[in-house]
Amino acid sequence: MRSTNLYSKIGTMKLNINRSLASRIVFYVLTFCVFLFIVSLSVFYVFSKKQIKEMTYQYAETLTKNTVLKTELKLSPITKIAYNYKWIIENSHLNTDSIFGITRKIVENNPEITGCAIAFEPSFFKEKGYYFAPYTCRENGVLKTFQLGNAEYDYFVMDWYQIPASIRKPYWSEPYFDASGANALITTYSIPFYIGSGLEKRFAGIMTIDVALDWLKDIVSTVKILDSGYASVLSKNGTFITHPKKELIMNQTIFSYASEINNPELRVVGREMLKGKTGFISSTLNGVERVLYYTPLPSSNWTLVVIFPKSEMFLPLRKITFTLILLVSIGLILLTFIVSRIVAKQISPLEVFAESAREVANGNFNSKLPDIKSNDEMKNLLDSFEHMQKDLSTYIEHLKLTTSAKEKIESELRIAREIQMGMIPKIFPPFPNLPEIDLFATLQPAKEVGGDLYDFFLIDEKHLCFAIGDVSGKGVPASLFMAVTRTLLRSLAPNQLSTAVIINALNKSLSAGNESNMFVTFFLGILDVDNGTLKYSNAGHNPPLIIHPNGPTEFFELTKDIPLGLFDDFDYGEKERILLKDDKLFLYTDGVTEAEDVDEKLYSDQKLLDCVCVHTEYQPKELILLVADDIALHVKGNQQSDDLTMLSIVYYGRQNEGIN
Amino acid sequence: MKHQIAVLALFYLLAFQCIAQDLPKITFSPHWLPQAQFAGYYTAQKKGFYRAEGLDVKIVHSSASVNASELLANGTSDIISSFLISAISAKNSGLDLVNIAQLSQNSALLFVSKKTSNIKTLDDLNGKKIGVWKSGFYEVGRDLIRTKGYKVTWVPILSSINMFMVGGIDAMTVMWYNEYDQIINSGINKEELTTFLFSDYGYNIPEDGLYCINKTLAQRKGDLVKFVRATLKGWEYAKNNRSETLDIVLEEMKKAHVATNKAHQSWMLDRVLDLMEPGAKKVKKGQLSESDFNKAQNVLIDGGYIKNRIEFNAFYKPVL
Repeated sequence: MRSTNLYSKIGTMKLNINRSLASRIVFYVLTFCVFLFIVSLSVFYVFSKKQIKEMTYQYAETLTKNTVLKTELKLSPITKIAYNYKWIIENSHLNTDSIFGITRKIVENNPEITGCAIAFEPSFFKEKGYYFAPYTCRENGVLKTFQLGNAEYDYFVMDWYQIPASIRKPYWSEPYFDASGANALITTYSIPFYIGSGLEKRFAGIMTIDVALDWLKDIVSTVKILDSGYASVLSKNGTFITHPKKELIMNQTIFSYASEINNPELRVVGREMLKGKTGFISSTLNGVERVLYYTPLPSSNWTLVVIFPKSEMFLPLRKITFTLILLVSIGLILLTFIVSRIVAKQISPLEVFAESAREVANGNFNSKLPDIKSNDEMKNLLDSFEHMQKDLSTYIEHLKLTTSAKEKIESELRIAREIQMGMIPKIFPPFPNLPEIDLFATLQPAKEVGGDLYDFFLIDEKHLCFAIGDVSGKGVPASLFMAVTRTLLRSLAPNQLSTAVIINALNKSLSAGNESNMFVTFFLGILDVDNGTLKYSNAGHNPPLIIHPNGPTEFFELTKDIPLGLFDDFDYGEKERILLKDDKLFLYTDGVTEAEDVDEKLYSDQKLLDCVCVHTEYQPKELILLVADDIALHVKGNQQSDDLTMLSIVYYGRQNEGIN
Repeated sequence: MKHQIAVLALFYLLAFQCIAQDLPKITFSPHWLPQAQFAGYYTAQKKGFYRAEGLDVKIVHSSASVNASELLANGTSDIISSFLISAISAKNSGLDLVNIAQLSQNSALLFVSKKTSNIKTLDDLNGKKIGVWKSGFYEVGRDLIRTKGYKVTWVPILSSINMFMVGGIDAMTVMWYNEYDQIINSGINKEELTTFLFSDYGYNIPEDGLYCINKTLAQRKGDLVKFVRATLKGWEYAKNNRSETLDIVLEEMKKAHVATNKAHQSWMLDRVLDLMEPGAKKVKKGQLSESDFNKAQNVLIDGGYIKNRIEFNAFYKPVL
């Protein structure tokens, strides 16, 4: 049961590795594709929008121009007719009654003209009275000709007469509904005329032509732009003359409409229109943003406006964009599917590699590897894996051999250490039958075996020989040299009470055949326990300390003698000093004074001196342990780099006898 | 059951119609075509205030061709609305009318000119062409110019603002609630216009009031009281329900095929309601002060439009 769980766990893990890697790759690929798509689509959209906008605007302009042309084709003949007949009136001496005929002719010959008046200034012809305005109109297809003016129809205050008469310019009236109630929209073109010549030429009246505007509605209503775009014509005062919404016609001006829909912008545009300007503007009308293109109708100074919803302009683009998004989304879904399949297939060997690696970790270097035929990174990985398997196999074999060799060496070293340690005396107190002295020593090698040594033995009943030394280097070679030195000392010392003789002989023996140029610093002393005479020789060793119980503690003087083993003919000297009762000697190797803390700060001679000075009353063993503690305190756990050797001797002198 | 309800409904309908037919009839004529200037009458009618007073009121509009005093004179209308000055003139001309209520308390007349005409102060009007309506309401403006000693060319115009728009005249007499807003609605901005309100020059003469001929007052005072009461109620309703009133006005205008738009009528309604407030004047709503009457009569006498003075009490016979 437990193993099943474990396998399923491993299986899930494998699956997770694959899935997460595959999904990560798919995620990155997809993210990039989406990003690419968004960027491309945005560029496409913005660019197309600009293009479409330009094209639509161009179309609106062209459409408007065409419509303007069409209206001009209707309006400009009216102005021409008016000009031609005005010329006739001005230049022919017409019979007043024939003027009726002219108005009739004009209406008769021009179906688009619904009425024509030639209205004269008050009492222009005495015989015709105050009002004289021959007029012909078309009523239900029948022409009616009569004199228009009378007290009730005082035409002099009518816009069609008064305004052109006042400004002395042709005037297109604001459109108005036909008085017959047929709801036909009419405009009147009025033109002033003059009679007489030279100085006698004077303003005589106004000729008018009434034009029904049903054709205008027809022309303008054919203007279609996009789905719901339309055109409208505004009068000089901004009144809607044509508009798809009937209720606006003749009721609203663009300004009242702007006020009603609370759109101050439209008012501003309206003013531009009335100034006869041409242009585009976007404005929100009835909650929809619309584009307005306006341009004047040259004859009448009215304005033609083409209006279309901005959104419609981009509707096809939106449709295309939507389709694109849809297609690309489907594409991306497919891409996701395909990429995940491809990636999953491509990285499937990784699973086998992972399993293989686990087996390798468990020690099976022949674990199964995937079968890869392609020549790619996966193949590379396979090669590396195979190589790794082989190398690991070889390495482990090698390691096995090395380890056993190392174990052997370690075991030999252990034995060597035991031997080395066996060579130095370790029984304390060493001379229980010799109450004049007591001594204690320790040797703590930095490695399994060390190059330090100390030794002590009795030459005869009253002479104690003691030595301390430090072989150059460490480890096995040093330990061998130490063993040689110690053995030589033991063989040279018997029956010899001069340290100089012993040390010179020792030097000679060590120097002979010393091809590895090893040397040993060496302090050798012979203490006469009867009288406290100490003979000593110092071959380059650290000067020992002498501790007087009631006096100062001080270092032995330095000698110029070099370490042993360097030159066989070097002559070592001997010195002598007398130890008093309770004087103590403290010998040590440089492992003591050069013990380093983590900051490579040495324990130093001074620190040793200070430590010893504080503990002068202690016996050798305690003294050495206290110094060892002080060193440990100094190094603060820093690894010991050199052998640590200390030897201390106290001289009690002969019991019950005074000492000189 | 259904039949019973139908019969009952029919009974009430017939009964109601009989009552309606039996109600005293009043024909009222506002002095111009339908517009927000007469909103109070339409609301009184529409909201049933006349009927509630027990009157069957019919509104017959006058026009450019038929003015209200003619309708009053020929008996078509029992009550008309009229300008105070026009009414005094008419009475002088022999129409035996009396003012039974004065609705407007302030003058809405002004001269307007375009700043481009370089008219900045009243003095600048001297020597200029000023448009005035041929049909009336010119007396006050002329008096103002006359008392200032300016020489101007008066250009009679029918009703449109086109002459002013094309620059055929330098200034024009207009109504604050009507033509002034038409000019604005023709694309000229307020700041491009200079205005001289007659009320600022000592001519705050009331305008619209209700008139009938003396005989009607004598014979049908009760009906007139009811009419004026319902009318004032109608105006009060209009003041408090402007949006609804505006719809009623537009409907009336549509019925009469009068071109207009909501923006303009809204402006007109607000201004006409302003004009009805007495403000600093010591007069109650609906009443005519003697000093205003005298001011109006003086304009007419000084302008030579009338010769004989009329007694205030002979002219103003309030029914309420």
